[in-house]
Amino acid sequence: MGKSRKTIQIVILFAVLLLGGYAIWAALFGGDDAGRPEAGGEPPSFTLADTAGGVQSLSDYEGQPVVINFWGSFCEPCVKEMPEFERQYEKWKDRGLAILAINLSEDTLTVNNFVSRFDLSYPILRDVDRKIERQYGLRQYPTTFFVKPDGTIMEVVVGGMLESDINERVERLLEL
Amino acid sequence: MSLVEFSGDVFLVAFFLYCFSFLFYVIAVTGKRWSGREPREHERRWGKIAFVVSLAGLAAHLAFFFTRWAGSGQIPTSNMYEFMTFLAMAIMIAFTIVFAIYRKPLLGMFAVPLTIIIVAYASVFPSEVQPLIPALESIWLKVHVTTAALGEAFFAVGFAAGLMYLLRVIDFKDTSKSGRKAQRWVEFTLYTILVIVGFLIAVFAFRGAGYEATFTQEKLVIDSQGQQQDVKETVHYYLPPIVKPYNSQAESVEPFLGLDKPLLEAPSWMNGVNAGRKLNTVVWSIIAGTLLYGLLRLLFRKPLGAVIHPALEGVNPEDLDEISYRAIVIGFPVFTLGALIFAMIWAEKAWGRFWGWDPKEVWALITWLYYSAYLHFRLSRGWQGLPSAWLAVIGFVIVLFTLIGVNLIIAGLHSYAGV
Amino acid sequence: MLAVENTKCECGHQNAVGTVLCESCGKPLDAALQQSSEPLEMRYDGVARRSQKSNPAIIDRIWNFFSSVKIAIYLIVVTFVTAMLGTIYPQESSFINSFDATTYYEENYGTPGKIYYELGLSHTYESWWFIGLLVMIGTSLVICSLDRVLPLYRALQKQQIRKHHQFILRQKTVYRSEIAGDPKEWVEKFGAQLKRKGYKLHFEEGTGTALLAEKNRFSRWGPYINHIGLILFLLAVLARSIPGWQMDSYVSVPDGDTVPIAGTNYYVKSEKFNVEFYTDDELPEELKGTARAKKYETQAVLYKCVANCDDPLKEPELEEVMDHNIIVNDPLVYKGLKLYQFDFNLTPRLNAVSPILEDKRTGEIYGPFYLPMKNPELKHQLGPFTLEIRANYMEFALDSEGKPTTLSREPNAPAFIFSVKGPGLAEEGEPYIYFPMQKDKVKFAQDTINRELAGKIEIRVDGMENVDFSEATTHLNVRMDKALPYLWVGAVFSMVGLILGSYWQHRRIWLRVDGTELALGAHTNKNWFGMRSDVAGALKKIGVEIDPKTLDNGGNNA
Repeated sequence: MGKSRKTIQIVILFAVLLLGGYAIWAALFGGDDAGRPEAGGEPPSFTLADTAGGVQSLSDYEGQPVVINFWGSFCEPCVKEMPEFERQYEKWKDRGLAILAINLSEDTLTVNNFVSRFDLSYPILRDVDRKIERQYGLRQYPTTFFVKPDGTIMEVVVGGMLESDINERVERLLEL
Repeated sequence: MSLVEFSGDVFLVAFFLYCFSFLFYVIAVTGKRWSGREPREHERRWGKIAFVVSLAGLAAHLAFFFTRWAGSGQIPTSNMYEFMTFLAMAIMIAFTIVFAIYRKPLLGMFAVPLTIIIVAYASVFPSEVQPLIPALESIWLKVHVTTAALGEAFFAVGFAAGLMYLLRVIDFKDTSKSGRKAQRWVEFTLYTILVIVGFLIAVFAFRGAGYEATFTQEKLVIDSQGQQQDVKETVHYYLPPIVKPYNSQAESVEPFLGLDKPLLEAPSWMNGVNAGRKLNTVVWSIIAGTLLYGLLRLLFRKPLGAVIHPALEGVNPEDLDEISYRAIVIGFPVFTLGALIFAMIWAEKAWGRFWGWDPKEVWALITWLYYSAYLHFRLSRGWQGLPSAWLAVIGFVIVLFTLIGVNLIIAGLHSYAGV
Repeated sequence: MLAVENTKCECGHQNAVGTVLCESCGKPLDAALQQSSEPLEMRYDGVARRSQKSNPAIIDRIWNFFSSVKIAIYLIVVTFVTAMLGTIYPQESSFINSFDATTYYEENYGTPGKIYYELGLSHTYESWWFIGLLVMIGTSLVICSLDRVLPLYRALQKQQIRKHHQFILRQKTVYRSEIAGDPKEWVEKFGAQLKRKGYKLHFEEGTGTALLAEKNRFSRWGPYINHIGLILFLLAVLARSIPGWQMDSYVSVPDGDTVPIAGTNYYVKSEKFNVEFYTDDELPEELKGTARAKKYETQAVLYKCVANCDDPLKEPELEEVMDHNIIVNDPLVYKGLKLYQFDFNLTPRLNAVSPILEDKRTGEIYGPFYLPMKNPELKHQLGPFTLEIRANYMEFALDSEGKPTTLSREPNAPAFIFSVKGPGLAEEGEPYIYFPMQKDKVKFAQDTINRELAGKIEIRVDGMENVDFSEATTHLNVRMDKALPYLWVGAVFSMVGLILGSYWQHRRIWLRVDGTELALGAHTNKNWFGMRSDVAGALKKIGVEIDPKTLDNGGNNA
């Protein structure tokens, strides 16, 4: 009798500790999942069409350092960045660097004109109806995610970058 | 005559019936010791008359409620005027129920004036029927508001009985430190009630005289595009301005007793809607209440508590304690249902979340937690009687803050009823 | 050896440690309590509470802490006081637009605002310590209830009928007198009256001179049912933090558009958004002239994606599952997914135009051709003319180098650059810029840009029937809350418990007749007034007239 009572007490206290601990833990660390993924986190996966008529997924680049850049033709700093990314891509692609430039749900003509104007060789992906943009919780453009080969985000940069900024980060990504 | 107009007339009738009922209750209780009367018989007779008159008042009040409902096509609980009149009616209903159980005429002497004050307070607000905004068109709103008000009405009756208990048991001849402290607090409670009465007197006196003053206030407003804008607002005062709005210019000020310009300016952090005017009203209420209190003190030459105390002699304090407790016990489930559960259902229907930590919601929860603490206190040794009576009194202050204070001071989704 | 406390009552019953009143005959066990004549403390019928048993180890200490009503009250008080603090300034969560909390409070409320923010009161209700308080209240609910309900249940299950004199005469409601005649008959007569009041009677077997009358025992379980409801409620609230149980997002749908609902397999289309305002006639004096919304409504259609949902190369295949006119207080509800009317925007948006091409030299008109703002056909053949779209700009502007660019992806000021081939025009085509909106045509001087080509041809829209635009955009709030049913179940339990416990009271009357001496004691958990009138009423019926008040034996209205 006395023993089973003790067991019941322990079971109840344990359950309370577990549930209560979870509640407090959730309050402390369970931040809003709608927000932007931060450094250390994992980038949400996506599968998008590219301008060449193919399909590309983030998972295709597993084990590679990836730069995910969100851009639009309406955003001046994005436009400035594009040729810089192109040069960086040429410079580092042999070492395994991938650049995925996700367009912010603009129409085909706009994107095609843009790509041919700057003669871009890295994959340009087409978001539709702001789906992926939302998943990444974007508020400002451009936003660039530097993803390490292990699949975690090394850094999130909001706003335009100089080529040297990109270079410095890519070097860190490649652990040079 | 339209139904709405008719309802206005019936409402006036109800108000006067309440006043008479109060008078008869006072006669029933204080007249016991008049010469040449059999006290028990006197109390029974006048108590009955008073109760019948209060019932007639309630009937008129109900007639007001339903004719206004029929006339306007919407349940009259959607603005501050309508809600307060409904609360007053709910208090009368709660009082009638509790009276039916305990048959103590004395209770009427405290519950009916509470109703009268609230009816008068309701009349401060514009009484026009206002068409509803879409969020308020829901059956759950009607259910929520009416049930919550009924629950609060029982708390009000609990408050009345608690206050009676205090006035009954606190010995005004006691000169010990704790005795004086108790006396002071009872006196302060009565003073607070007089400040509210003072507020009503000031508002109606100046409204009757048609007083008005106007100010223009400059405000920095940040609009939705993040642009700063200078906005000029006109603020109307219906009480002579002792305090003017922050950063404002007087447009026109009618002189009152030589006061032709404001004496003070509201501090800058009072930047809410009409904050300056509200502060001015508070100052006036305190002045009028203090004057009233001083006048009564001069008249009786002793603390008001000591004036009322003898009228309550012969009442068993334990009965008062039990009435207060029981009123709260009856009200608690009603309040839970109305102010929390129905509110959550409505919030779920209207906004898609059952709970949003909106100030009004939080205060409803605070009220609920407070009264659940009260109910648990009653289970503990030593908390019956005096401490319970104080808890009942303080509890009603919290109820009033939830109903009125939140709207006046803290804005939120419920601010539709703001003044 | 430890001294073992003697818990055996004189009636022979062996009580548990901590028992106040003998579980069997009700005699006070404590010597000091036996000497006194004060009314007895009847909580939980004087049985030992679980937490009071045995010698405390660490587990017991924690258990004892949470099983105390005093601690429960402290927790409630601390919770509502902190909740009060949280309403001083607006909470961070009440701002829909993004704002900087680190500076907002100081800028708007000065130093107190800064302190408020630093203390974390600007997000009181999400903070770990507030949640911690709720967790502790929940724990207290569980342990307090368990600690009391089981012993109480046992005590009420095995009640002895003939109670000790001390027990009976130290109740709060007491009646004692001498009776004449047969005691058994008296007890039966009195019992019959109580039975009419709804009491269940238990006569002492054999003698018939002792009686236990009891009613509404179920009301004793009210508080515990209520607590179970509250625990369910709290668990349901906790369950909302499980990923996927809850969703709260917003979706903006222009008239006629079909938009995916993020995180789901659904798409929503707004056929049309309507808003009605009150007319001045319907408004009272002080509201005249204000735009007071009467009704707003989104004619929504919900689609489910059935194929090609994640294939970026193909159009998703949609299947209509429901249509509903969403108004405030009446959301679209489909399998737990709810769409609420949240807000609206009455700025029109251009979707498509159907312009014609006029050869100004001949007056000949060709077309119209369909030109949507997004993803138009790139080549149009109009009579002898060929139009090829070379570039499009949704919000046309010139950049710092004087080159055309777009300022946004919304068709606020759309422009198209065509290459036109046809009779009398250059072989390789001549560029022609076209602004579908009249205001832009004027603002950017379309004819000046097009130079002499503007004299040869013109692309224009004839009549409003050739313009397609969305008049409004509706903002819907997307919700999903799987915990909701559990929440309501908790609320119902809680309510039922409250009603049982508040509107009925457990009343018991014990009486025994020894020779001619009658001793009657009565106990209730609430409402002594009713208890006394029950006893006095029954006595009156058998010819004993007394004022109910005289039954009061003092003591507290617990």
